[in-house]
Amino acid sequence: MTWHEVTIAGYLLVVGGIVVLQLLATRTAVPVPSFGELLSRAMRSRTGRVGVLVAWAWIGLHFFAR
Amino acid sequence: MSRAVPGPEDRHTQNRDTDSAGKATGCAEAVVTPPRPAGRAVAALAGLRAPVVWILLAIAFFTSISGKPVDGALMLIVAVGLAWDAGRRALRHPGAGEAPAPARTDRTPGRRRRFAVIALLAGAVIYAGLVGSFTRYSWPATAGIIGLGTVVVLIGWHAPVRARPDGRLPLAGTLAWVVVIVAGCLWELSALLQQPSLTADSYAHPTLSTLTDPLLAASPGRAAVLLAWVAFGWYLVKR
Repeated sequence: MTWHEVTIAGYLLVVGGIVVLQLLATRTAVPVPSFGELLSRAMRSRTGRVGVLVAWAWIGLHFFAR
Repeated sequence: MSRAVPGPEDRHTQNRDTDSAGKATGCAEAVVTPPRPAGRAVAALAGLRAPVVWILLAIAFFTSISGKPVDGALMLIVAVGLAWDAGRRALRHPGAGEAPAPARTDRTPGRRRRFAVIALLAGAVIYAGLVGSFTRYSWPATAGIIGLGTVVVLIGWHAPVRARPDGRLPLAGTLAWVVVIVAGCLWELSALLQQPSLTADSYAHPTLSTLTDPLLAASPGRAAVLLAWVAFGWYLVKR
């Protein structure tokens, strides 16, 4: 296995973890919050809401802006 | 602290529009003394207690050293502004949380609402198609992203905080999310640090940006990703 494949496998593992946690939250009775509930919690205060929105803006900047 | 000249609060309590207990009866908002320079510094320092500010400062640092000074400068501006704003609010209402706005009731008639949704969808598609037609990292693309990002962040900054259920999230489940998200960030960071330099891609240790290069190389791919980005932003604004 090359380092390229190992690196991609790491990303896939993280994506898999996110999918599993979301499924546990929405399809089972396991006490795991959904991603939406986490966002709501983070956005309860003005500071948290601005932080989440800035993180969203940063994604756009990172991939498209100079 | 005593003052020889009455401040705005003192004048407010002497106003005939206040009752005997000093409560405002004729004003919608309390009069606030403009902060002095030392007060502003204290406000900014108090705002540094917000973890979000430190996260934004870290993003600003790593973005700047990886060859994206515009991103870094914008993140730094927002982090400082957020620290100052959070500190100012904390000093103005010490120990008190922000009063949430009442739950929203959507009174827009169904037809108008449908029209608004269609107009927003059309606007999002036009935006994605237009900005996606520009080359990545070009100035027109940069202006399009900064413009929409600024509008959305300002909406979030100035809108009233919404009332939300007060229940606590399950600790173990929340920790599981934190572990996965932090692991993802560290994996990306380790790939970034194993590149030949912070601005040169590595085939052996690709970052997410490197992996998405083929998708974002052509205009349709850029437009599709931009549409998803706009949709996620709309989802966040509505929360």
